[in-house]
Amino acid sequence: MEATLTKGTTIPTGFTREAVEELSRQKGEPQWVLNARLAAWETYEQLPMPQRTDEEWRRTDIRPLKLDKLVPYAGVGERVASPDSVLATVEGGVSDESDRAGVVIQRDASTVFSEIKEEVAKQGVIYCDLDTAIREHPDLVRQYFMTQAVPANFGKFEALHAAFWQGGTFLYVPKNVAIELPFRSFVLAQQPAAVFAHTLVVLEEGAEAFFVDAFNSPTLDEQGFASEVVELILGKGSKLRYVQVQDWGRHVWNFMTERAILTNDSTLNSLHVTLGGKFSKNSIGSHLRGPNALAEMLGIYFGDGDQFFDHHTWQLHEAPYATSDLEFKGALKERARSVYSGLIKVYEGAQKTDAFQQNRNLILSREARADSIPNLEIGANDVRCTHGATVAQVVPEHIFYLQARGIPYTEAQKLIVEGFFRPVIDRIPVEEIQGFLEGAIARKVGI
Amino acid sequence: MSTVPILEIENLHVSIEDKEILKGLNLTVNAGEIHALMGPNGSGKSTLAYVIAGHPSYEVTEGSIRYFGEDIFEWSPDERARKGIFLAFQYPTVIPGVSMANFLRMAVTNVRNARAEAAATDGGSAQPFTPREFRKLMREKMAQLKIDESFANRYLNEGFSGGEKKRAEILQMALLEPTLAIMDETDSGLDIDALRVVAEGVNSLMRPDMGVVLITHYQRMLNFIKPHFVHIMMDGRIVQQGGPELALELEEKGYEGLRAALAAGAQS
Ligand SMILES: Nc1ncnc2c1ncn2[C@@H]1O[C@H](COP(=O)(O)OP(=O)(O)OP(=O)(O)O)[C@@H](O)[C@H]1O
Ligand SMILES: [Mg+2]
Repeated sequence: MEATLTKGTTIPTGFTREAVEELSRQKGEPQWVLNARLAAWETYEQLPMPQRTDEEWRRTDIRPLKLDKLVPYAGVGERVASPDSVLATVEGGVSDESDRAGVVIQRDASTVFSEIKEEVAKQGVIYCDLDTAIREHPDLVRQYFMTQAVPANFGKFEALHAAFWQGGTFLYVPKNVAIELPFRSFVLAQQPAAVFAHTLVVLEEGAEAFFVDAFNSPTLDEQGFASEVVELILGKGSKLRYVQVQDWGRHVWNFMTERAILTNDSTLNSLHVTLGGKFSKNSIGSHLRGPNALAEMLGIYFGDGDQFFDHHTWQLHEAPYATSDLEFKGALKERARSVYSGLIKVYEGAQKTDAFQQNRNLILSREARADSIPNLEIGANDVRCTHGATVAQVVPEHIFYLQARGIPYTEAQKLIVEGFFRPVIDRIPVEEIQGFLEGAIARKVGI
Repeated sequence: MSTVPILEIENLHVSIEDKEILKGLNLTVNAGEIHALMGPNGSGKSTLAYVIAGHPSYEVTEGSIRYFGEDIFEWSPDERARKGIFLAFQYPTVIPGVSMANFLRMAVTNVRNARAEAAATDGGSAQPFTPREFRKLMREKMAQLKIDESFANRYLNEGFSGGEKKRAEILQMALLEPTLAIMDETDSGLDIDALRVVAEGVNSLMRPDMGVVLITHYQRMLNFIKPHFVHIMMDGRIVQQGGPELALELEEKGYEGLRAALAAGAQS
């Protein structure tokens, strides 16, 4: 049985309890899943809408977002035989089967393709959509899904997500299994409706994996809405490289919440690339919960037109002897705006914490604007915490120097912007991702 | 052989932030000529170099600059470079994140393509450039200028020593093969051996159809690169011109002495 939505059903606009029940019914979910959705719905109804008086939303205005005008889910779930036609429109989407450990494709509210390499599955690795995971591995899903990293009562939008999540991907890597090839997930929104994507990664002790999330849609006329929750659970000594590329159409209001839980000796290398959407609110956090945990958190964002990006990052040092190293870099052109706000929080007793945070912004036009707000909260005395923030324009002398060597203005600008991002790109030792980033930056500069 | 000068500057007046720096400057450079331009600090030598290269901060209030008879003021800095004008900067710019190799490839591609197109419209044949050919050429020129290969992967001028920056400027010149080269104090900051390497590099780049303006404070550079003409610039004008002997005279008397001699000459 495939859990899919019935074709031709018309769904009324607005998020309601009835819509939650109808979604669950169409997906044929077990009672405990429906119950969890309904409990989340209650939480959603109880929580107030974030206000600009809330510190985290102070510079982020969501009043123009009309939730009651949105279709809560859409999409018809016949599966496709091959992923290539579905991915043909996605930049860097079609890759050779041999270049990935598995792929899951969600189109609107349904998973349309899911595949895992046989030799990977043989080692006990699970990679599939969440509906399948619920059927085949209910205990694992019950244990980890919105219970630890991002619980359903995390906040207003997370509660909405817990009530309306669709599709989703689940990666589970057993003890001491290391998979080098990336697990790829694509979420493609093609209909004028809200889309909810969920990523749940669980690495057992000593496991290693590489996961790439891509969110992609064309630009539609109607207001769009996307909600993603990413949960990364890193067991003792495990290693995860996580890359996320957000390239929604320009009609989308995007809300992404990610939390990683790092137990002792585990390593997370994450990269967040924000390119698309009309509005993107990203909350990205790492709980360093055991000694010698290491979180490298990288970010690249590039806004143009009227885009608004808000990145909030959290380096939560809950245990001693952990390291976090964060570098977020953004370029803004035309009338684009961005807010970066990062907190390094060192809990009591988290001695020998080593935390680094850096946010740099490059402004490419008169109207573009970036705000950067670094924060430190330190509850231990033997720690090293460094942070820095800059907002700067392109230096005219740099452009002139390149022009004086025959390089036209726009190409000179492109070189400089690419040079600005280069140190972050160089920190990702994956050629395919580097190439994608170079291309994305070139497209954004407009060449 | 064309008789139109490569560079012809007439009565050039240039201001920056409403302050007049160049006050009626004249200079003509013909094919095959090397001109040394000397003058005290602040006399306007770099200003002249920047204006020829098209720096947007300077305002030309009067006069003209012609390149092969064509007015250059309408041309953007990159157009000028593609037409064969090259400025070796007195203070080369550091650009973080941009690798030398990437930058050089882009510069050379743009300049070469423009040249190939111009040659094609003149009935000549275009010569495109493969990446392999480019790498080979770059390595060759780097070896000639005794620049370590590792510099290709470094960011543009970042962390380069003073002398290394100057050598990198000449590397760019060697790859771009300009028709008019303005070299602004390329000799300053070079040790004796580096000076010889750079000077030999410049001499080997000299072609009969090329003109050079060598801005310098010191005779020692002119021992290696022999100028045909020496111009002394003071307060935004060229106040004296002569052959190579003028530089020697200047070395002896200094600008004060020269100024006094000029004043005496003006009175008599
Ligand atoms: N951007 C600027 N703003 C204000 N004044 C300027 C600017 N650029 C140049 N000047 C002034 O113009 C005058 C000429 O400067 P220029 O750099 O051309 O001199 P120079 O002959 O190259 O001197 P040096 O031998 O020290 O290199 C100086 O008085 C300088 O202060
Ligand atoms: Mg100067």
